[in-house]
Amino acid sequence: MTELLQQVVDGLGRGGIYALIALGIAVIFGVMHLVNFAHGELITVSAYAAYGLFAAGWDWWLVAPAVVVIAGVTSVVIEFVAFRWVRGAPDFTMLMTSFGVHFLVQAGFVMYVSANFRQFPRPGWIFETWKVGGVSLEVYDLLVILFTLLTLGATYWVLQNTMFGTSLRAAAEDFDAARLMGIRSDRIIRGAFALSGLLAGVAAVFWLMRSGQAGPTAGLSPMLKGVLAALIGGLGSLTGAVLGGVVLGLAEVLLISHLPAGLVGLTDGIVFLLIALLFVFRPQGLITVRRAERV
Amino acid sequence: MHIGVARRVVLPVAGSLITYLLLLVGGVAYTAIGNSSSDGLVTQMLINAIVVLGIQIYIGNTGVLSFGHMGFGAIAGYAFAVCAISPDRKAVQIPDAPFGLTEVDLTPLQSSLIASLIAVVVAVVIGLGLARSGARSGAVAATVITLALLFVVHEVAKNWIDLTRGGKTGLSFSPLGKVTLQGRGWIYLALLLALLAARLFKETRFGRLAQAAREDDLAARSMGIHPALQQMIALLLSVFVVSIGATLRVFELGSINPRLFFFKYTLLTLTMLIVGGRNSVAGSLVGVVVISAGSEITRYLAGPSVDLPALDWILRNGLTDVFLGGSMLGFMIFRPAGLLGDWELDHWLAGRLAKTPVSQLPAGHPVDGHRSEGELHVTGVVVDFGGFRALEGASLTAATDEVVGLIGPNGAGKTTLLNVITGLVPAGGGSVLLDGDALDGRPSYLVARAGIVRTFQNLRLFPALSVEENIAVARLAVAGHLADRPQPEVELLLRVSGLGELRHRRAGELDYGNARRLELARAAAAAPRFLLLDEPTSGMGDRESAEMVHRIRELAELVRAGVVVVDHDLNFITGICDRVYVLDQGKVIAVGTPDEISEDPVVQAAYLGGPVNRSN
Amino acid sequence: MLEVESLTTCYGAIAAIRKVGLTVRAGEVVCLIGPNGAGKTTLLSSIAGLLSPTGGKIWLNGDDVTDWAPDRMLRSGLALVPEHRRIFADLTVHENLMVGGVTKASTRRAGLRDQVIELFPALGSKLGTSAGYLSGGEAQQLAIGRAMMAEPEILLMDEPTLGLAPLLADVVFNLIGTLRDTGLTLLVVEQNAQRILEVADRGYVMRSGEIVLDGLAPDLLARQDLFDAYLGRSTDLV
Repeated sequence: MTELLQQVVDGLGRGGIYALIALGIAVIFGVMHLVNFAHGELITVSAYAAYGLFAAGWDWWLVAPAVVVIAGVTSVVIEFVAFRWVRGAPDFTMLMTSFGVHFLVQAGFVMYVSANFRQFPRPGWIFETWKVGGVSLEVYDLLVILFTLLTLGATYWVLQNTMFGTSLRAAAEDFDAARLMGIRSDRIIRGAFALSGLLAGVAAVFWLMRSGQAGPTAGLSPMLKGVLAALIGGLGSLTGAVLGGVVLGLAEVLLISHLPAGLVGLTDGIVFLLIALLFVFRPQGLITVRRAERV
Repeated sequence: MHIGVARRVVLPVAGSLITYLLLLVGGVAYTAIGNSSSDGLVTQMLINAIVVLGIQIYIGNTGVLSFGHMGFGAIAGYAFAVCAISPDRKAVQIPDAPFGLTEVDLTPLQSSLIASLIAVVVAVVIGLGLARSGARSGAVAATVITLALLFVVHEVAKNWIDLTRGGKTGLSFSPLGKVTLQGRGWIYLALLLALLAARLFKETRFGRLAQAAREDDLAARSMGIHPALQQMIALLLSVFVVSIGATLRVFELGSINPRLFFFKYTLLTLTMLIVGGRNSVAGSLVGVVVISAGSEITRYLAGPSVDLPALDWILRNGLTDVFLGGSMLGFMIFRPAGLLGDWELDHWLAGRLAKTPVSQLPAGHPVDGHRSEGELHVTGVVVDFGGFRALEGASLTAATDEVVGLIGPNGAGKTTLLNVITGLVPAGGGSVLLDGDALDGRPSYLVARAGIVRTFQNLRLFPALSVEENIAVARLAVAGHLADRPQPEVELLLRVSGLGELRHRRAGELDYGNARRLELARAAAAAPRFLLLDEPTSGMGDRESAEMVHRIRELAELVRAGVVVVDHDLNFITGICDRVYVLDQGKVIAVGTPDEISEDPVVQAAYLGGPVNRSN
Repeated sequence: MLEVESLTTCYGAIAAIRKVGLTVRAGEVVCLIGPNGAGKTTLLSSIAGLLSPTGGKIWLNGDDVTDWAPDRMLRSGLALVPEHRRIFADLTVHENLMVGGVTKASTRRAGLRDQVIELFPALGSKLGTSAGYLSGGEAQQLAIGRAMMAEPEILLMDEPTLGLAPLLADVVFNLIGTLRDTGLTLLVVEQNAQRILEVADRGYVMRSGEIVLDGLAPDLLARQDLFDAYLGRSTDLV
């Protein structure tokens, strides 16, 4: 029982990060119909920024918020430089564009920093465990869950209670009708990218705390997990993305603990396989967006 | 037919051979003037060409973006290595290989073929999955599934140490890894075969039908095309070619590890395909050459031999990847069709040859052949969309020798009724009988083959295909499913629709009037029993509408089809219809000749509105 | 107030509307009738800034607004209630209205919303309801109310009675009269030609992308050949 609880907490710890990334991907998809494979580059950029700031003597208390801001800004920059040109283009074009950006940014880092991974310090106290009623829980996991809830809460608040959030939801539902109301398309898209970036930034903080390194492919793995989570949830749905992240995190932990030793390395592969099967039989994802009939 | 064979087989083969020779000559010349490494580079380039051609077969013809082809490559590569590495070396590297594979000792040729067949078997499974998910150009599901393949194979290769020796070391052949001249000969042969396969596939029935589905999935289905089947054939051939290329890559390198067929190689090959033009076989080769050259140049510039302090900030390690990513991005933004679009060398050759004479059939001569009289009975159709009843007991009959009109105010359900007949929308009740044969529930491509073909309100042509090809592909789609229905020749249809001069023009470039004419001609090419026309005169002026009457009648007589036409232009309806049904709010409120119904006050009220509680 | 001159809008190679001209004077109710596919929605969308015309000009109160984006048109006092209403089903009634007021100062929006609720009391009790759950009539009220949030001087309506039961359609026609009485100028595309001509001052008949007939509403209503003009039965129109 205690082991199960530990696993659940561990799964939620992972799931929280995935949920944040997936939400960022879902936000952009909702507005632009684009699966942003370049989303991972935000984490790569964050990783390098963190490395640089650590080298300059900063510590985690300052680096963490800085990373969030940097991720948000980078996201808007990427939209301005690359995606702006392909708005409204066919899906094939947009997908390839996002891959192109992904590789380009990665290559840029190889060129201007290093192809190797650079290490930076990880906050040791985070990986201590607390004993809560006989269960060993990692502080890290608890922090992730806490901050994920806070971030999701804040995002939810923004989406529900600000004009920007409401406009974003309107644009995600019917972009042209939103334009007709006077919502400016470039502002809303840039806003979506900024929000997406901030979410990625928070996810990046925790991802980097665990990985402790910066390299050109730092963003690849989290991005893929985020895409998977968003897909599980059904790309149109923001709630689905969050749920997808949680499901993914829990599934990973369960697989790792129950797979025979030789197959543990295949966890990612198995998850991917399951998702592919999901897509074969349910191309719209797990959660169908329930839309009331237009009368 | 003679012209057809020349254009579809002889010229493409000739063009391919010329392209091949050009490529080889270029390669040989480069090797001759270059240094020791250029030999290896040319070999790599030729191998990459085979792989890219393989990918082109799928992505080019179906328009489905597959990221997983390197997954197949990895499967084939590993299968090849396991088969071809000598048992002695296998005993050292993978002593615990399952299924007694350590004993297997095959020649490279045998290994390559077997490995490719294994990959094709996996492709069958993947293809079924893609079909089940409704893969089509632009669909995210297809990208996800193929990406999953890439990943799963990568993970398995890293972890199934008994078979693959894991990710750190991988498998390797004997130190004599360098490709011998004899080995090179196989590469030349494989490239020639791959080139011919890719070029000729584009001209085969499967290739052409796949292209039509790529252009417009819905229109293709309504013409009798079953996209999933064509896509599967394309996938299997594509995977076979890619696999051959992959095995050659492993052979040339002398070793294999999981990273050899993962993201980097995917990026490289996709960039080559896109830069060259994904709809062009020649484009694939051009893309390979351009990107290979560019990569080499960037590698050289970023290397130690070039020392330009002023440019040091850009001439560094990683420049090649920037070049690749930048090329892909640049082309996607500024020139998504690639350098060559869908041009092939034999197009140029065909242009140089004398114009083919238009066949001398007298105009308007009805196609010979026994045609029985037919009837379409639509009875009591009910359709609900959520809470909204779109059709309530709608009925209609038509015979093959008449033109029946279907009119009614906006939202009456006319298009919905057409959609039910053609299988695009399921009916909650009622039946559709064609010559006594129940059509309800049949998917649209089968309805088309049974003899009901439609046009769309929002013009759905195959824009990248030529006028002639639009018609030809519709003809092709139903050929073989026609029972006793004779099919009009493409030439005849071009002549009758007045599109002869524009035969080579892309359908997407036509002006509206000609586009509508093409839509009609294409529908007629499918030798229908019934033509369902959805607002054929929308957007037309009076003169053009009058002309449409003439055209439709002509084509209908030509193929001896009955016509059901939905439209709002009463002039047009009066001019062409024998009988008219009036639909309002999902029900038929009047039937009669055009004159009768236009005098009918019930019909007038339906259109113009009036006092709110009118009696029906 | 609104003048459209020789307007042409194309979808690719197809000219959906061709050299269309019309005028709407301040305080008028002008209707636009015609069969489906005539280009009426294209015309309204072009005026409101959703579509870019390829030729011709649009003048609003003397300004050349031909290429203006929707938000600019809203700020200049022109709002469109689109065909099929296009309310945001995922948003609540309150949020829909707020989005309608996005071009207004944030401090004013609550006040504007209250004004809209005075006009449509039925919405007042459903502010927190998700718009997707509204009935047809309520949805139409919401769509109009949303457009009213922008305090337009001229309101364009595209088939406001589409899909509504006859009794509800009645409500809409009465509403048009009420709105006109408050000083609003209206350009209404309608299916029910007879009813709208009873309410309007002037009317235009569109067919196949062109204006084929126009005049004072009572005159049009009295015409025997209105049906013919509507459906193109005869080609000589006096």
